[in-house]
Amino acid sequence: MEWMITAKEPGKTYLLQGNEAIARGALEAGIRFAAAYPGSPSSEILTMLGHVAKDMNLYAEWSTNETCSFEACMGASMSKVRSLCIAKQNGLLVIGDALHTAALSGCKGGVVLVVADDPSAHSSTNEFDARHQARSAGLPLLEPATFQEAKDMVKWAFDLSEELGQVVMIRGVTRIHHGRGNVTLGELPEQLKEPQLVAEWDRLVAINWFHDLMLDKLDKARSIFENSDFNSYEGPDNPELLVITSGTGWFYSQEAIDILNLNERVGLLKLGCTWPLPQEFLLKHLRQTKKVLIVEEIDPFLEQNVSSIIGHNPNIQVEISGRSEGKAFPRIGELNPDLVRNAIAGMMQVSYEAPTSIALPADEQVLIPPRELTFCAGCPHRASFFVLKQSLGMRPAGGLVMGDIGCYTMGGQRAGHYGLNSLGCMGGGVNMAEGLGQLTRFGFKQPVIALAGDSTFFHSCLPGLVNAKYHNSDMLFIVLDNSATAMTGFQPHPGISVTAMGEKAEAISIEKLAEAIGCQVTVADPYDVENTTETIYRLTKKPGLKVLILKRECATLVLRKGTRRRMWVDPALCRGDDCGCGRFCSRVWGCPGNIWDYTAGKAQIDEVVCIGCGVCASLCPAGAIKVEGGEA
Amino acid sequence: MPGGRDLKNDILNSSLCTLCGACLDWCPYIKNLDDNLVITFDCNVAEGRCYTVCPRTNTDWHQVNSSFFTDADWSQEIGSCVKVYRAKSLSSIPGQQDGGTVSALLKTALEEKLTDALLLTGSRDNMQPESFITNSLSYIEKAAGSKFLASPGFRKIMQAAQEGVKKLLVVGRPCQIQALRKMQVSQADQLKDMDIISIGLFCMWSLSWEFTNYLQNEYPGLTIKSMAIPRHGVEIMTNQGVKTIPTAKVREFIRPGCSYCLDMTSELADISVGAFEAEAGWNTLIVRNSSGTELVSKAVGNGLLHVEDYPENELQLLKSASFNKKARNLNSIKELIANDAINPPVNISQYDYLEEVNS
Repeated sequence: MEWMITAKEPGKTYLLQGNEAIARGALEAGIRFAAAYPGSPSSEILTMLGHVAKDMNLYAEWSTNETCSFEACMGASMSKVRSLCIAKQNGLLVIGDALHTAALSGCKGGVVLVVADDPSAHSSTNEFDARHQARSAGLPLLEPATFQEAKDMVKWAFDLSEELGQVVMIRGVTRIHHGRGNVTLGELPEQLKEPQLVAEWDRLVAINWFHDLMLDKLDKARSIFENSDFNSYEGPDNPELLVITSGTGWFYSQEAIDILNLNERVGLLKLGCTWPLPQEFLLKHLRQTKKVLIVEEIDPFLEQNVSSIIGHNPNIQVEISGRSEGKAFPRIGELNPDLVRNAIAGMMQVSYEAPTSIALPADEQVLIPPRELTFCAGCPHRASFFVLKQSLGMRPAGGLVMGDIGCYTMGGQRAGHYGLNSLGCMGGGVNMAEGLGQLTRFGFKQPVIALAGDSTFFHSCLPGLVNAKYHNSDMLFIVLDNSATAMTGFQPHPGISVTAMGEKAEAISIEKLAEAIGCQVTVADPYDVENTTETIYRLTKKPGLKVLILKRECATLVLRKGTRRRMWVDPALCRGDDCGCGRFCSRVWGCPGNIWDYTAGKAQIDEVVCIGCGVCASLCPAGAIKVEGGEA
Repeated sequence: MPGGRDLKNDILNSSLCTLCGACLDWCPYIKNLDDNLVITFDCNVAEGRCYTVCPRTNTDWHQVNSSFFTDADWSQEIGSCVKVYRAKSLSSIPGQQDGGTVSALLKTALEEKLTDALLLTGSRDNMQPESFITNSLSYIEKAAGSKFLASPGFRKIMQAAQEGVKKLLVVGRPCQIQALRKMQVSQADQLKDMDIISIGLFCMWSLSWEFTNYLQNEYPGLTIKSMAIPRHGVEIMTNQGVKTIPTAKVREFIRPGCSYCLDMTSELADISVGAFEAEAGWNTLIVRNSSGTELVSKAVGNGLLHVEDYPENELQLLKSASFNKKARNLNSIKELIANDAINPPVNISQYDYLEEVNS
């Protein structure tokens, strides 16, 4: 809630989401600049900062991609104002090159990069541990374990960033970003820093001469971390087991030690500063134990770095367990309190009977129907994948569809008739298609298609499109333009006429952009299944690069506008199970709006979710589905 | 009675499809663009009309013969036959091929109100066939001349039924006439109120649409007017004059499904029309039943068509050409069975007579 993050109520405690706490921390630090590209679980931060930007006298933007956002922050930093960049783990890798050069140049005004990791990839294609990037680039790294810390660390990170003249990275995880907890507010600054004149030699230049300086900054960070309150120890002086943890692992470990009643035997060392590690602080506690368990999300980052410290101190003899080789924890996936409790119980050789899980009575279990990940009712992507399957099915050797990142990624599953042959990163589709499309010269016969949403198009497809055009690859590039960054929650992008701060902007036309590159552009409507099927079929038969924009507004936006039309099934026309279609509408077409009335034995429209797109009406072989106002 | 999944496995995936078009437009699964006909989504219907009407699935020839050809002689080479003529149109029609007999019959059928509408196949640019339903005489010219490229024109029978056409005259290839008869004997609801007169064309094979790409690559800028197959090869009449393509080259483009066809003369049509090989400007005309007799006699009576008795030696040549096609393609079927390449749904035992002659 925006009123909580801007409340001038120091000392007051609110229940805040982690993302709210982070935004509040940035406001307490007095940021003047914030930029991000949306990515779950961190998207809310910039959304909120955008909403409060005018009131709080800062600038916030949804940048075209993560590199744009990070380097914009670096630019703002030159004038000595504070800048916050936010990304998810995949976005961090998009920043990667800029991150490594920024570490060499350092920063002027504080630059904090908040990265949201997504263990178990709840809302990502992959789980990836952002912390490696901090180590690789040589940047100080903080990890909040609580919602309070999420706020406080952001504020402190800006002080640290300016003290070191270095970018500081903060790594959260889904349970921090999307969880909620008590946060006591601090002071908001009375006066915000104004941008300063940049002096002649006040430069930010990344060049290898500064490598040593960058390492000096890390050494300085380490000595600061040795005394940071974000690192702490609780437990006996000589614990039988030392649990070393960061982030959410701290909560899980505390709970486990309490439940197992091991407070007198197990010590808990919490690290808030995880790169560079506070070596002396760690050594002090490592000397007091024989067994160490590392509790951390995703990769054995702490485990390997602590092992390295132990390796350099031969007098320390401890047995270390963690995620490596799946010794104490599974090698992949998110941790949870059960996993941590079982690991500690196992290492301490105490038995623990978990309460049996509560089973629903058999007759109540049916109340929870199995649900699959699918497109919303009326989603244009459903029609697009249907059309793709039909048009490529018409080619004797089929065809290949290179997927990309967005709602349409679900097209790789049943919702899109398993319609993706590849899936990589943002902008990956067009590049992979370019490569395959070059092989026609050696007799490769299958037509190659790349997909990208409108936001993905701006994010990372332009260089790929230029590459494909310049080298005239035999491929069809389809932009699934639903006028929305729908997957992450409708954040504005350059094709939409509004900014993160709610200001009007001039939308950039994908069609004109592609035409300016020299592409032949076709625009079609995915709802027009018959004609668009033929359009794709014809385009894939043409040599060279073709661009097709499948334009149709996201169904959720239609729903929000309240412009949907009513649809219904005429029971007199629906042939039920006697129809030769075998329940085509609810079985194959698969829109959540198409359901089956088991009592009547006929098709039915779920009017609660149906948005009235009319596509199923155009596909019903009996013409039994009717649309208010006639033709779809 | 099997359904779409079986059609996919037995016919489409085995390259047996003739592109007759009879299975199209009944359901949301079978789709066509150009000469590709595919089942795009999994059909779970256990029993389907698509399978029943397909000319490549088992056809009960005896049932068809007893339903439509009661008073005709029957021969193993050319099927049921009331009378064979050589024939030619008495008024020339632009675009006509050989004797223009089909055009004369169509004109007669419309003028005499024997039909409400015609299902014909014309050509778009560069030979690509396009079927349409018409009741206008002027459209006959548009469809005149042989096409040689397969097209799924018989999907339009469904369209005609939906538009309420009561009497329809169709012109089609042997496979399409077979499909029509199977639609009729399976008593499809949509067709039960419709009288259909059928003119079947002689057919050795039809070509994949890739053939037009070949011609375009070979002769860039070519506009094709018509195509004929005299005994020495394939002749393409174009804006750049007559181009002769070697028969061996053309054979590369024959649809694979044509190699399993056992019907050269459209044996199940009311009337069959083909070239008259012995003399240019004439057609061979086989009248097979009473509705065929009625149409031909009206065409002759109206002075649109001239017919003469068919020379006996030419009839023997015709029969032997037809027999050779049957024997050759029966062997193709048997080879596939022997190699387990297909599981043919056809009832081979119905063709025992061919085996005898063959051996």
